[in-house]
Amino acid sequence: MRKFTFGGGIHPLSDMHEGKAETRGREVIAFAPDQVVIPMDMHLGAPSVPTVAKGDTVLLGQVIATPTGARGIPVHASVSGTVSDVGMRQLVGRAPSMCVVIDNDHRDEWVKLTPLGTVETAPADQIIPAIQQAGICGLGGACFPTHAKMTIPEGKVVDTLIINGAECETFLTADFRLMLETPDRVVQGTRLAMRGMNVPRAIIAIEDNKPEAIDTMREAIKGQSGIELAVMKTKYPQGGEKYLISSLLKREVPSGGLPLDAHVVVLNVGTAAVISDAILDGKPLTTRIVTVTGAVKTPSNLRVRIGTSIQDAVAFCGGYTEPPARIFFGGSMSGIAVPDDTMPITKANNGVVALTEKQAVLYEESPCIRCGRCVRACPARLNPFQLKAVLDVNDDLVEAERLHIAECCVCGACSYVCPARRTLSSTIKAARDVIAARRMAR
Amino acid sequence: MNLRVSAGPHLLAKDSTRTLMIDVLIALVPTTAAGIYLFGLRAAWVLSVAIVSAVISEYVWQRLMKRPVRVGDFSAVVTGLILGLNLPSTIALWVPAIGSAIAIILIKELFGGIGHNFMNPAMFARAFLMASWPARMIQFALPERLLGASQAAVGVDTMASATPLLMPGNWTTYDMLLGNIPGTIGEVSKVAILIGFVYLLFVGTISWEIPTIFVGTTALLSWLLGADPLIAVLSGGVLFGAVFMATDYATGPIYFPGKVIFAIGCGAMVVIIRQYGNYPEGVTFAILLMNCVTPLLDRFTVRRVYGTVKKHA
Repeated sequence: MRKFTFGGGIHPLSDMHEGKAETRGREVIAFAPDQVVIPMDMHLGAPSVPTVAKGDTVLLGQVIATPTGARGIPVHASVSGTVSDVGMRQLVGRAPSMCVVIDNDHRDEWVKLTPLGTVETAPADQIIPAIQQAGICGLGGACFPTHAKMTIPEGKVVDTLIINGAECETFLTADFRLMLETPDRVVQGTRLAMRGMNVPRAIIAIEDNKPEAIDTMREAIKGQSGIELAVMKTKYPQGGEKYLISSLLKREVPSGGLPLDAHVVVLNVGTAAVISDAILDGKPLTTRIVTVTGAVKTPSNLRVRIGTSIQDAVAFCGGYTEPPARIFFGGSMSGIAVPDDTMPITKANNGVVALTEKQAVLYEESPCIRCGRCVRACPARLNPFQLKAVLDVNDDLVEAERLHIAECCVCGACSYVCPARRTLSSTIKAARDVIAARRMAR
Repeated sequence: MNLRVSAGPHLLAKDSTRTLMIDVLIALVPTTAAGIYLFGLRAAWVLSVAIVSAVISEYVWQRLMKRPVRVGDFSAVVTGLILGLNLPSTIALWVPAIGSAIAIILIKELFGGIGHNFMNPAMFARAFLMASWPARMIQFALPERLLGASQAAVGVDTMASATPLLMPGNWTTYDMLLGNIPGTIGEVSKVAILIGFVYLLFVGTISWEIPTIFVGTTALLSWLLGADPLIAVLSGGVLFGAVFMATDYATGPIYFPGKVIFAIGCGAMVVIIRQYGNYPEGVTFAILLMNCVTPLLDRFTVRRVYGTVKKHA
C-alpha cells in the first residue's frame, strides 16, 4: 500500500510510543464540571462580545456572546445554570481574556439550533452559515473559524478537502478515539463540508500508527463517492496543514498564502464531527474531546464541556500521581505550557499533559556544533541553526527574512533534535512574529 | 502550584553534545585498542599526552578568557584522541602535547570555540606538526605484535607513493585490513575503523555520504590513474580520515549535494596529491582544503524552502 509523506520531520518520543500508549485504549468519557470558564477569544480573530450578565440564567447551547466581524463566531453556554461572573482573566494568551463563568446546575437543558435535515437534504447554501452559528472553529489546535475557512473567495478554486486525522503530536489520542468510536460522524461532516463548499473530492488522512482507525474509517467511507482514505507515514509534523498538503497532493502552499492557494481546504476530523452535530442535530459546539494524560492517575480521553478547568478534568481522572512540574495544552512538541491548572480547556485544546519534576527538565543552551540535525528535521527545508545565529548575534531581521523565516511553522522539530539544546524554534517564532507585526503596521 | 512555563517542545531528544562526543569516543575504542595492541604501550603514552594536553589547553584557555568552561562536553577529548591516532607511536611525547594545544587554542578557541572552527582542529594540528618536524612525523614503527619486530623504527613512507607493498615485508591485503603495516597509531587497522564506522552509522552520529563517497572516489580515481585501488584505500590514512575527520560537524557541509561534492573533492585531492604531488601526505591536506571550501558549498547548495520559488542565480 502506498503511504504518503514529506521530507524532513522527526519521530518524537518514539521510545515511549509517542506518549500515546496510556490513552489509546481509553474510550471517551463525558465529563461536566460544576463550573466552566468560557473565554471570548478561543478562536483566531476578533473576540466575541458577551451578551449575558452576572446572575443571568442560561441554558446549554444558549448564545452567550455574539461575533465581531465576518470572521467572528458566537460563543455558546456549555452547561445550563447561572452566570456567576463576566470579566477579564489572565489565561495562556499574552493579554487577559474576557470570560463568562457559568455555575452548572447539571440539568443540561438545551436550546438547540434548527437542524438542516440529513446529509443529503440539508440545503447546501445554508451549511456554512449554520457552521458559523454553531460557533465552530478548527479543533486541531489553531482554532481558525471554520466557516471562514470554508468560504471560498471569488476567483479561487478548491478541488480537494483534506480531513486531517493524522494526529502526529505526541500524547494525543483524542482524534484517534473519535475516529474509532464515531466514524460516521466524521464521514457525515465530511460530506456536509463537501456539499457546503461544492468540492468533489475529500481525503481522510490518517497516520499508519493508527491501524484500527484506518480500518474503521475505511469501513465508514464504503459506498461514499468522492471520499478517499490516505494512509500517512507516522512522522511529526505529518498533520501540519502545509505538509499534509504536500504529502498527499505534491502541492505546496505558496509563501504567504493559504491552503486555498493550493486549491485545498484542510479540516480536522474533530471539526468534521462537530459539523455533523451542528447541521444534523442542531447542536452548537459546547464540548470537545481532550486527552488528559501524563502524571495523572487514570490517563483518559474525556469529552469535556468547553471551559472545564484543567484541575477539574484531572480530578475526574483521579488526580495527579505526584505534584506536576509542568502542564501543557496539546502535545509535547507544540503544546502551550500553562502557569497553573485553573486554566480552562477551550475549543483549541486537544490535550492536557502533566509532567513530573523528573520529566520537566530545564535544559541549558550550549553552543551550536553544526551537526545539521535541525536542518534535516525541518519540514520547511529551512536552516534553523543559521536563522538562530543571525538572530542571536545581530538580531538581523532582514537577513532572517532573506532566509525565509516566514515559512517556519513552529513545529519545534529543530529544537527537539538539537543536541546543544538550543531554543531554535522559540527564537525563530519570536522573530517571525516581530516581522509579521511590522508588516501589519506598514 | 509552581509550574515551569516555557515555549515548547517540552520534551527533547536524548542526544546531547556530550553523548554525541561520547559516541565518537566509543567508535574510536576499536581503533585505539588496535593501535595500542599493535604498537605497544608507547602508543598509549602518545594518545594520553594528546588527550590530556587538549583538555588542559581548553580548560586553561577558557578560564583565561573568562568564558564558560566546556571541557565537560568531551569534544576536547575527541580532538586530542584523534590527533594522537594521527601520529606515529615513536613520536617524542612533546610533539602531541604541542599539537593538541595548537588544535584547541589556535583552531578551535580562537575561532569561537566548539562549532565555529573552519578547519578540523586535529587535522590542522597534524599539518602543522608535519610542516614543523617532518622527520619525526614519518618515523613509523612496525607493529611489534604481528611481525615480532619490536621497536624497529624504519623510515617507511607509507603515504609518499601510497604503495606500502613496494616496501620490504610485502604486506598482504590481510595485513592491511588488520593493521599489520607501518603507519600512524589509528590509521593502520582498517577493520577497527570499519567497526567504528558501523557504530557511528548505527547510532546516527554521522551519515553515510561523506565516508563512502570519499573512499569510493579515492579507489575509482586511483584505478583510473593506473594504481591499485585496494592499496590506495587500505594503505594510508584514507579510511581513518574519511570516517573520523571528514565527518567533523563544524567543518563539513550541511546539505546533501554539498556533502557529495565535499567527499568527491576529498577523494580526488588525496589521489592528486599522491600521484602528482611531492608531499608525503594526501589525506590531511585534502581534508583541510575541502574544509575551506565548505562555506562556499553550503552557500551554493541551499535547499528550496517550502512554498518558495527557486531564484535563478
